[in-house]
Amino acid sequence: MSTNRVTDKVLLSGNEALAHGAWEVGVKVACAYPGTPSTEIIETLAEFPEVDVQWSVNEKVAFEVALGAAVGGVRSLFACKHVGLNVAMDPLMTAAYTGVGAGFVVVVCDDPGMHSSQNEQDTRWVSIYAKLPLLEPSGPAEACQMVKEAFKISEKFDTPVLLRMTTRISHTKEDVTIGQRSVPVQKPFEINARKYVMVPGHAYQRHILLEKRLEKLKTYSENSRFNRLEIADKKIGFITSSIVYNYLKEQFPDASYLKLGFTYPFCDDKIKKFAKSVKKVYVVEELDPFLEEHVKTLGIRFFAKDPSFRIGELRPELIPDVVSGKVKIESKSDARKPRMCSNCPHWFTFATLKKLDTIVAGDIGCYTLAALPPTCALHSCVCMGAGVTFNEGLRKAIPNGKIIGVIGDSTFVHSGITGLINAVYNKAKGVIFILDNSTTAMTGGQHHPATGFTIRNEPTKKLILEDLCRSCGADYVDVVDPKDREKFEEIVKQRIDADALSVIIARHPCQLIKK
Amino acid sequence: MNNSTCNILFCGIGGQGVLKASEICGWAAIFDGFHVKKSEVHGMAQRGGSVESHLRFGKKVFSPLITRGQVDYLVSFHQDEHDRMKNLLRHNGVDLIGYLDKAQAQIEDQRQLNTFLVGVLSALLPVKEQSWIKAIEKVFPEKILAQNKEVFLKGRRMIKV
Repeated sequence: MSTNRVTDKVLLSGNEALAHGAWEVGVKVACAYPGTPSTEIIETLAEFPEVDVQWSVNEKVAFEVALGAAVGGVRSLFACKHVGLNVAMDPLMTAAYTGVGAGFVVVVCDDPGMHSSQNEQDTRWVSIYAKLPLLEPSGPAEACQMVKEAFKISEKFDTPVLLRMTTRISHTKEDVTIGQRSVPVQKPFEINARKYVMVPGHAYQRHILLEKRLEKLKTYSENSRFNRLEIADKKIGFITSSIVYNYLKEQFPDASYLKLGFTYPFCDDKIKKFAKSVKKVYVVEELDPFLEEHVKTLGIRFFAKDPSFRIGELRPELIPDVVSGKVKIESKSDARKPRMCSNCPHWFTFATLKKLDTIVAGDIGCYTLAALPPTCALHSCVCMGAGVTFNEGLRKAIPNGKIIGVIGDSTFVHSGITGLINAVYNKAKGVIFILDNSTTAMTGGQHHPATGFTIRNEPTKKLILEDLCRSCGADYVDVVDPKDREKFEEIVKQRIDADALSVIIARHPCQLIKK
Repeated sequence: MNNSTCNILFCGIGGQGVLKASEICGWAAIFDGFHVKKSEVHGMAQRGGSVESHLRFGKKVFSPLITRGQVDYLVSFHQDEHDRMKNLLRHNGVDLIGYLDKAQAQIEDQRQLNTFLVGVLSALLPVKEQSWIKAIEKVFPEKILAQNKEVFLKGRRMIKV
């Protein structure tokens, strides 16, 4: 990507193409916390020195920084994976009320099939819940086009815009025609308490405007080029969006299509017109019946997939069964499962924990792999931060259990610190392990506050985890190398037996860290 | 079977350079003016798990994934993965598993396995040699470029067309 950047065909992933599109229309600030399948969006933007890019501490923080920049008058972007958006839901819901100054695009990458996630939520519902416009590209080239349009829509309607990708779009590569950067004139920051100070009286008025905005967006959606009618053979008509459009086009090249790209607010008139023009209507989509539920309200009769296909990714070979309404046949994957690298420092930690027969509240990271055979030494994984807090709850339920919590270094900074403070404040005891491999390993090795480097590898003030834990009020804070097995085991035993709240930082760098 | 689209499936395990192989192939097809789509695997699956990359090129490609039974060329980096994937090949599809041992015997560094196998594949595809070379120049950094070109050509000459 380093050469021939300008008006040239390049092989880009959906994430790279989206980042490039955002760069072309002058994005100035971009924030994220790493999360597969969204990570490369911000990494790509970091290659452009003219964009102010950061790994934020977590998604809520990232969202707020990006929103502030947009309100301040420059185009900004926030990117996350589906579960990352959950962390940012608080600012998102109210940003719909405040609106933006310059364009603000919220990119969310869903993970149908859970290639690398703990659930397969369908984030399209957020558009209805938060009352925000939703764009859904079906491939990298379209992602590049759509993000440009997203900034325009954001400014035209004074709203954050949701741009929803999926793993199969983020991580597909396609030849994409890229262009040059053009930065719009910065908008002056407007002091306007009724717009930006969301106290009840102001928010009530903003809610009125929000409902009006949705009406206007509906009209816009009706005319959007991204809601495309492709009329061919009128015997069969597909209403579809996202990656599924491609699978259908390949297997039913002669059928008619209503390909939705500006998915919400729904283009009801176009949908009705299309349904009337074809003999048999099919609504085909991945995951939840988001389109189905709406098309139903329009009084349209259509065929849809069996509910069993709401689970998992729709792959091309499943399309015949999906379209003919068959029940999904579950087959066991024979793929080689991921596992910890040989000589991984986490492995040593879990070997000790297993030997001591502990119940381990786990968290999100490479170490989650310790739950799988042959290690089988991690017993819960719900979300970022829960290694600390789920552990506290477990201990309340099972006072005499040998229960500990584990969390990675990046994850601890993301959302473990509040849990530790909570444990101290509420007089909880026990042992919390920070599995410190000095990187965000699972997503490919990104920096975070405790590595002391920024996204661009520039040195910055380093967060000292042991100092932080002490100041939070932990009774004991030890820093031990888990590969020093004897010493490690001795300290772990001591702390487990102590009537205290201890933090053990098991520190050994990941061997995959790029030197 | 869509006659105008070429479907290649690369398979191996995390860390073997499967994605790099499909990357070279994708660029080569672009340089020859084809529309290209390729699928990748990132994140958790890369930790030593199965890695597959689908590469499709032609006049116009819709799906980034090849439908089962429509793989034209199967390029395997690991015997187990080959055995798992071989029934995705179409009837008369080309299976390059016979070149895995030969590749391993000919290369000095296991990291060159991808370049060698792409070399073998290249001899079978309707893409100009010049585009392959350009693709290799695009994908590899200067430091290891010369040796990869050499390995590529070694692989390419394994097959006489």
